Amino acid sequence: MELNEFVHQLDELEKQAVGELSAIQDAAALEEVRIKYLGAKSGQFKNVQKSMGALAATDRPAGGKRFNEVKNAIQAAFDEAQNRASQQATKSTGPMADPTLPGARIRLGHVHPITQTIEHLKEIMGRLGFSVTEGPEVEDPWHNFVALNIPDDHPARDPLDNFYLKTAEKNSGVTRLLRSQTSTVQIRVMESRQPPVRIISLGRVYRPDEADATHFPMFHQMEGLWVDRGVTMAQLKSVLRLFATSYLGGDVNIRFRPSFFPFTEPSVEVDFWWAGRWIEFGGAGMVDPNVLNAVGYDPEVYTGFAFGLGVERLCMRRHQVTDIRDLYRNDVRFLRQF
Amino acid sequence: MLVSWEWLSQYVYLKNTPDEIANRLSLSGLNHEETKTVDGDTVLDLEVTSNRADCLCHIGIAREIGVLTQQQLCLPEAKITTSGEDITKSWKLNVEAPTACPRYTGRIIRGVKVGPSPAWLVKRLAAIGCKSVNNIVDVTNYVMFELGQPLHAFDLRHVRGNQVVVRMAKEGEQLVAIDHKQYKLDPSMVVIADAQRALALGGIMGGADSEVSGSTVDLLIEAADFAPRVIRSTARALKLHSPSSFRFERRIDARQLDWASRRCCELIVQVAGGTIQNGLLDSATTAIEPPAPFAFRCSEIERVLGITIPITEVTRIIPALGCKLVDEGNGKYLITPPTWRADLTREIDMVEELARIYGYEQIPENVPVPMFSSAKRPKDVVLERVRGVMIATGLDEALTPSVVTQANDEMLSPWTDLAALSTDIALLEGATRLRRSLIPSLLTCRLHNQAQSARDADLFEVAQIYLPSAEGGLPLEQCTLGWVSGSNFNTTKGILESLLESVCGVQNWTFADWSNKLLEAGEGAKLQLNGETLGYVGTFSKSGRKELRLEGTCSFVEISVDGLLALARIVPTAKIISPYPAVVRDLNLVLDEACRWHQLSETVRAAGGELLKDLQYRETYRDANKDGEGKKRVLFSFALQSDDRTLTSQEADDCVKRIIQSCEQSLGGRLIAS
Repeated sequence: MELNEFVHQLDELEKQAVGELSAIQDAAALEEVRIKYLGAKSGQFKNVQKSMGALAATDRPAGGKRFNEVKNAIQAAFDEAQNRASQQATKSTGPMADPTLPGARIRLGHVHPITQTIEHLKEIMGRLGFSVTEGPEVEDPWHNFVALNIPDDHPARDPLDNFYLKTAEKNSGVTRLLRSQTSTVQIRVMESRQPPVRIISLGRVYRPDEADATHFPMFHQMEGLWVDRGVTMAQLKSVLRLFATSYLGGDVNIRFRPSFFPFTEPSVEVDFWWAGRWIEFGGAGMVDPNVLNAVGYDPEVYTGFAFGLGVERLCMRRHQVTDIRDLYRNDVRFLRQF
Repeated sequence: MLVSWEWLSQYVYLKNTPDEIANRLSLSGLNHEETKTVDGDTVLDLEVTSNRADCLCHIGIAREIGVLTQQQLCLPEAKITTSGEDITKSWKLNVEAPTACPRYTGRIIRGVKVGPSPAWLVKRLAAIGCKSVNNIVDVTNYVMFELGQPLHAFDLRHVRGNQVVVRMAKEGEQLVAIDHKQYKLDPSMVVIADAQRALALGGIMGGADSEVSGSTVDLLIEAADFAPRVIRSTARALKLHSPSSFRFERRIDARQLDWASRRCCELIVQVAGGTIQNGLLDSATTAIEPPAPFAFRCSEIERVLGITIPITEVTRIIPALGCKLVDEGNGKYLITPPTWRADLTREIDMVEELARIYGYEQIPENVPVPMFSSAKRPKDVVLERVRGVMIATGLDEALTPSVVTQANDEMLSPWTDLAALSTDIALLEGATRLRRSLIPSLLTCRLHNQAQSARDADLFEVAQIYLPSAEGGLPLEQCTLGWVSGSNFNTTKGILESLLESVCGVQNWTFADWSNKLLEAGEGAKLQLNGETLGYVGTFSKSGRKELRLEGTCSFVEISVDGLLALARIVPTAKIISPYPAVVRDLNLVLDEACRWHQLSETVRAAGGELLKDLQYRETYRDANKDGEGKKRVLFSFALQSDDRTLTSQEADDCVKRIIQSCEQSLGGRLIAS
């Protein structure tokens, strides 16, 4: 077959097919035309395609080029016709699908923001090699005070600053109280094993504060402890920096300000430099030799650091909660935001 | 602690700006809260930690600044001129309470002219928010804020019997303080008295009777040391806190008593005239021992801080802090702290001093930290799964206080009948009981939500409950999961079963009857395993809901997480899934009403043996006409399958027959042909 004969066939086909397609308004007519021209078995287009095999080898590139042009033109006309036909269909009456209607949602519960914060802290500290430990909330004065270097006449032991238990005292002459700090757990862990110890203790603590927007008599603390040979304050700073960088998600600098806690010496307040300002993080320090002695560790051999922070404060800052009491009211409208 | 810039400049040359100094102080232990300007003077508000009582005065702050800026201090000498008869000749001091008052001193000034204070004194006190009273009282306050020693001036006229007695108060003794309020005292409080009556509340506040007034001519100036504990408990008991009690609570420097007394007398004579009588009333018979020296090794700096501090800095800072430093060679020193630093007694205290003065910013924040293994505890794995099931079920997590009211405590206590432990003071209003169940707390939250028109508050909590032990002592703290929801009994129990399966895999737990006055009859059950109770599930009855003011259906579950943990399948293991076809059969049996699913399922399982897989309850219905009264029909289905072969129909039929026979024989069941 001559090239120009082939091209002529294609021209004719294009003229006819595009002409018919452009007149089509509904789906049934479209399908008829589709079979006539584009049918896989005996559509006219298929027939023309077959005759391309009869072209001389040198003519085939030119023939193929024209063939593709025509094919694209017919396809475009077909798409347009199909579009018209489907628009026509939506104009008809009867029920119509609406995929923009809301789906049938399932009701999911929500994990409390304090739990979310605790899990976040556990995860980061776990990666830094700190294992989670727990201890009782009802404690004795040894673990809550004495072993933590808080002597008998220390103001922190005042009956008005602690929740001492009634029953225990009457029945057994033994003083018990709701722990005022999670450091008690550190004592229990150190009493029960030898260094190295690298732990965090997490949980509820209790102090008689009047409930207001920033105080609640029950709150959560996280305390970290690492005791081993050669643990230094430089490592404390470095671990806190790793923590802060993980928690806040960017490069954070650490500042120590001197402070005072009975169970650490030196004691410091820790600030994070983040987003252009210093943010208070919590307290920290090197474990006081008296504490190491109390648990039977030799302070000449071991050193250690400890740090502590209030979980509520981190949680509130992260989730923009402005009143601590909201965390314990358990209003579902509040809880379902998290 | 408010600090006047002008006042400070009397003792130390201030070469930096107030902002610079405030920043330096913040970074060395005196947290700067704010700066104000009062009458042209700059006033810094500094936070003083409880171990640094020495910084509760201007000289103390000046000392800190001196160390930080390497300036010498210029302190008042307090020179006094005395005359007349030695007061010990005519006056007696009797300290009957040496524990509460380890030292008491008194001086007498005669012929003062009480009047307004000079402008400089009024201005100093005004800068730090202290109102001027008269020249005498103002001087005692001034010296307190200057060197930290609280002082008191008595009108000598009203000290009767030429006698000063320091004793514990008598039961029911009354005192009108200078705030003109009457205080009822008890024997835990120390008073300054004369031969007849209490004149002042020791260390806290003077009495109205003996206060300095316009007609006062002669004065007794008290400079004393009171035990922190006594002052603290008295101040709290009477709700009477003063700058004086604040300082005694934190311990004053008893070795400065005489200096403070002289300084006070010197200034009184300067602003109010009069003459200081010879002699001193002093309860101490011997001088107080100087502070004890302790050894210090320079090597501790690096061992604790992780940095070295140049020896020139070490030997500059330690003496600058007022310590005596004796070089014992090889990096070892003997250090004697100054009298005002009772907090410095150990080597580690010196390491801290060096760190804060040398600067914590010198400590790097990027040193190597060795790796350490740590893994999730089984409990964390279990709680993660528990919370996952709970939120998938649509429950929101609540956190409620551990201490509850009596009403809440008594509402429901499935775990124990022993009385709850209670606290001396309430956590929140009326809440003194350590809770024995989470359910009352969760119901309270549900009611709170109900009142806010949120009737769908389905809440869970994971927390400790405190189960008292019969012997007293520490309670058992049981980690517990509780939830309340608007679901019925069947759904609630189903969620519990799904949870158990998720956490523990399949275990042979059972449910036993459990009733409670708040529950619907037959809608309470105890979850048990090997005879031990792991938890409770129940649905409140109509009357129970009315009593609790609950609207609509409400069920609860409470389960021991510790119990779950013991059974938990932390690492699930794969079992072979049989490639051979299963034969599924339905059976419909007529049974006595009293026959429970538990009995039926056990019978079917025992008879089916290892071929029986997947036994499912379908439904129960009753047809009294066909089966007679007291009968029910139970429809169930099961699958029979072997792990190693295709069952022949003969094998399957035999097994089904065994099951039917067993049900007939042991349960009196009768098969209904389908």
